[in-house]
Amino acid sequence: MAKAKASQAAADSKQGQPGAIEGIPQPKFDWAGRSNQWGTRVKPGKHGLRLGDLNVGIYGEIPEHWPDQTRNPRGAIARKGVPPVGYSIRDKAGLWADSAADLYEEAIQRRWAPATDVPWETIKPLNEGLERAICQVCTELCQYANGDIEAISSWQHQMSYGYHEVKQFLATASFDGARQYEAFRKRALCNGGGLGLEGPGKVNRMILESRGGWSEAVTYLFLLRGTFTMTMLRYLERAAYNDAERFLYRHTLQDKARHLTYGLEHLQYAIAHQEDMALIMQQLMFIGDRVFAREMRDNVLREALAVIFAGGIEKAGSEGMAVYREMMTDFMETYLGHCSWLGVKRNLEMMPQLLTQYVTRA
Amino acid sequence: MAEFPSVAWFEAVAGVFNSDESYRGAGGGQCHCQAGIKVGKRVFLLVFEGFECAEVREVDVSELEPVDFYLEMPLKDWKAMVQDIAANGAASLHYTLNTLDLNREAGLSHSVHGDQYREDLFFRYNQTFQFFFDASARIKTTFAR
Repeated sequence: MAKAKASQAAADSKQGQPGAIEGIPQPKFDWAGRSNQWGTRVKPGKHGLRLGDLNVGIYGEIPEHWPDQTRNPRGAIARKGVPPVGYSIRDKAGLWADSAADLYEEAIQRRWAPATDVPWETIKPLNEGLERAICQVCTELCQYANGDIEAISSWQHQMSYGYHEVKQFLATASFDGARQYEAFRKRALCNGGGLGLEGPGKVNRMILESRGGWSEAVTYLFLLRGTFTMTMLRYLERAAYNDAERFLYRHTLQDKARHLTYGLEHLQYAIAHQEDMALIMQQLMFIGDRVFAREMRDNVLREALAVIFAGGIEKAGSEGMAVYREMMTDFMETYLGHCSWLGVKRNLEMMPQLLTQYVTRA
Repeated sequence: MAEFPSVAWFEAVAGVFNSDESYRGAGGGQCHCQAGIKVGKRVFLLVFEGFECAEVREVDVSELEPVDFYLEMPLKDWKAMVQDIAANGAASLHYTLNTLDLNREAGLSHSVHGDQYREDLFFRYNQTFQFFFDASARIKTTFAR
């Protein structure tokens, strides 16, 4: 025993470090004193330790342009020689919204689990026409969710880490899409029905094929499609046939409202920081409205919604379609209201008649 | 027993809402906003902070300026909603805040300033406001004449 101790001591003395192991490099700890700002002590506030609270000192410096092309966390010391990742969005104007950190916290706070939070037991058998209509709408909502996930994730890897608040918020938005898909698939498959017909997918394609930058995708994904989905969810909540559906629609509505808040705030920021952005958006919407109108020409979603609003097929053509019209009127009013709030001028004469027919107020 | 509408009634509801942790999960959560409640000519200001309704006070209509949005209905419609909640333990399908907003000609949620970001808080925190009013099922309510 004493012999072993003596031998270890000899080895330690050779390595210059107590407990050093032969063959393992001796630690130098030369990294330990390096930090751009040491001694930071952010304390949890009344509402906990939130992401936005960490923006103190250099950690809160969010530059207009982020030249770093690596995954270096904002505020850390950059390592020389790291191969660039090739982020294409390195300007704050291309993605920023001041509320992103708060929206991230909100998404985490307001999470819900379709498996256990939804009172599935309240769903009772419905007449077949109604069940088919609900399943059809669920099918299309799943398809929208797929579009959300793909669109957001296809831009995520292009956003630089100087703006991590936005990246983190969008990670939650992507997860919200996954939950939307899960929730509506479950509704379609839990009451004797099944998935229906795939939607036309024209708007999804337009969103996914946006090549002009994230702001363009935001315009289509959150402002146009998001506003429509929110309006539809509001009407579905009103027409819910049980507590489970009401829960699903209302909670998805909350999620979509968060996305819309980011979308509007980002577009407002982009418009304020890029001279011709409002004009660009005007052009984008000119195109987007047409694609959206083309998708709305498809009778499937419209008729399914009318059946839900009327309580069955019998009165879908009259009462149901009247509510559908009311829904579209609300959508157009909200959508044009958002454009006006952003300062993006819209000329009704240039918009598809299929949409302007629902505009009742100038 | 508290009379609707009154500061005492909103405080009693806030007492139930603030102390029930089940309202903090399943899509509920922290809420940061000021909401106005207009019942006929009377106006109440509710301040939500974190998980709680932190403050209730009756204000003049001119003091609606700082609120993010306000909910407005005549007393008889508020009464119908509160009675429905009391009868069912929570708002039934016809009396959720969203349904009332859609069903009413003039809507339910309004804004003084037209700030879209603040108006949208009604939707972002919708479950919290619904939980708040649903909490009124657990207090005994009388109604002002």
